[in-house]
Amino acid sequence: MTKNIYLPLMTTIESVKEVAKDVKLFSIVMPGDFTYQAGQFVMVSVLGAGEVPISITSTHGVSKNLELCVRTVGHVSSAINSLTTGDRIGIRGPYGKPFPVNVLQDALFICGGIGIVPLRPLINQLLHARATSGESRIVTVMYGSRNPSEVLFMDEVSLWREQGANVVLTVDTCQIESWKGCTGLVTDHFGKAHIDYKNSFAYICGPHVMIQAAMRDLSFMGMPEDHILTTLEAHMKCGVGKCGHCFCGGKLICEEGPVFSLEEIKKYNIKPGIDSLA
Amino acid sequence: MTYILNKNHLSFWLRRLKTTHELIAPVRDVSGDIVLTELSRMHETALDGPALMPSPKEFLLPQMDQLFCFSEEGIEEALNKRPRVLFGIRPCDVAAVGILDLFYLGKTKDVFYEARRSRTILIALACNHPDPTCFCLGLGTGPFSKTGFDLQLTDLGDHFLVEVGSETGATLIEGSPHIFTEPKPADNDDLYETRLASQSGFEKRVNLEQARKSIQTHTVPDPFWESVALRCFECGGCVYNCPVCTCFNVIDRAISPGSGKRIRLWDTCMFKGFTRTAGGVIPAEAKINRTKRWFMHKLVHWPAQFGTFGCVGCGRCNLSCPGKIDMATVTLRMKGLDKAE
Repeated sequence: MTKNIYLPLMTTIESVKEVAKDVKLFSIVMPGDFTYQAGQFVMVSVLGAGEVPISITSTHGVSKNLELCVRTVGHVSSAINSLTTGDRIGIRGPYGKPFPVNVLQDALFICGGIGIVPLRPLINQLLHARATSGESRIVTVMYGSRNPSEVLFMDEVSLWREQGANVVLTVDTCQIESWKGCTGLVTDHFGKAHIDYKNSFAYICGPHVMIQAAMRDLSFMGMPEDHILTTLEAHMKCGVGKCGHCFCGGKLICEEGPVFSLEEIKKYNIKPGIDSLA
Repeated sequence: MTYILNKNHLSFWLRRLKTTHELIAPVRDVSGDIVLTELSRMHETALDGPALMPSPKEFLLPQMDQLFCFSEEGIEEALNKRPRVLFGIRPCDVAAVGILDLFYLGKTKDVFYEARRSRTILIALACNHPDPTCFCLGLGTGPFSKTGFDLQLTDLGDHFLVEVGSETGATLIEGSPHIFTEPKPADNDDLYETRLASQSGFEKRVNLEQARKSIQTHTVPDPFWESVALRCFECGGCVYNCPVCTCFNVIDRAISPGSGKRIRLWDTCMFKGFTRTAGGVIPAEAKINRTKRWFMHKLVHWPAQFGTFGCVGCGRCNLSCPGKIDMATVTLRMKGLDKAE
């Protein structure tokens, strides 16, 4: 009997936390055999409202539950964000290819706004590995937000610093005097991060203009194009390569992505929203 | 194996098939179009007319298909389990089903497609008189099928020559042994001549392989695609009528609070919102990107992924497009680009 790829698994929300305006972090109970890797996503259902792709933001083996971070945008994400502790939620997946990790090289994370969500599992995975196996890899997190109140996972940032990460925070505008981070675009602060461009992997996620600018800058500074990685957002209805919505440049982003390197983006001409990528 | 079926016996045979299967056959509707529909009166079968509109795709991938229904008790799957005969579909449509099989029954199986496909018998009718819009000849998908059918009928005047293409097809013949007789040598000669005559009846000669090469060698410039996009009405007719296009949308329909169903609907990449992301970016926002994407998908990406074009030469896009930017017209214009160099 063929497995029905469209049937969601119904499970329960264990806790909900509002991490910023219109952004909620859900902790969801999953069966023991549910495994996933950093960079993958799940299709999340609220029966009656619909189904949308959401990045996984927890790290398998580090956090017990599946964590999803959702911002209210359309009617399905609104429906998800109106759910509370104990409510039922449907999950299908995990889908997509995870981030490639090179154990010998440093890791640079460039995040913009809610773009930190798909990168957070890998940040925690690498820092966890550093703490447990004594890896010497340098982990740098550059994180830009609109204003201090929109910095997601602020409490975790200090934890990352304790675990040895080099964190650069920046905001567009700031009226708060207590803000200790930088201001300006995330790409303005490469100088503060002391990056060995030739021997690092970059993981980028954020608004399209930020992805575009960061990829261009890193490439310019000598980072190999197959080391510059991003995770692309796409309209998806199935997550399993059937509905055709995420098809781009001959690639299905749900199956062959969502993680792509700058090299692949150029080679296959995959450029959703990065139309003017040089 | 081949057999002869006298035309006088056709209604009898169809009636027989109808006792065990849902029988879908071409019928002339009130407007004069020939449509596939469940056959109730055997003599209404219209086998002489032009191509079927719309394509038989809707019997494997309905325009609206229920994925499951949900209620307080949980989720319940809905699989269609009725055995069905698609009678009188054209060889190009048989080829299109073969392509849908590659897509839906390949690496990741679609259980809904599989449920319908495994219970669907394809009885093809070879085309003796290709329409002016047809260009299957250059693609090898018609005017008669070589594989993919369960049975294929060729009209030889007062009788059909019946070819058996599968075991399922053979059992349909075995069920009515007295009306299927052995062909005479003259019947095979007639078949040969009928096929030759049909092949010479094509008005359009389209070479998609050449079009693919033109695209890949970058001889098709953006101004060409601009001129194509300019004539696009964004109606989606080409996609809906295409027997190979498979894209769908998924939505939930609530019946009452807590219960409802999840359905999928045909969707088309010609619509602007097709690729809209939550971040507000629409990757294929410009019309040129959408029309280009459709042609690229069929001419370049399908061959790369499945080894076959995403087109069978049925000409339905030509019939449905008000802007005349169908597969045949556009690829023929590309040929002009090569010559102009």
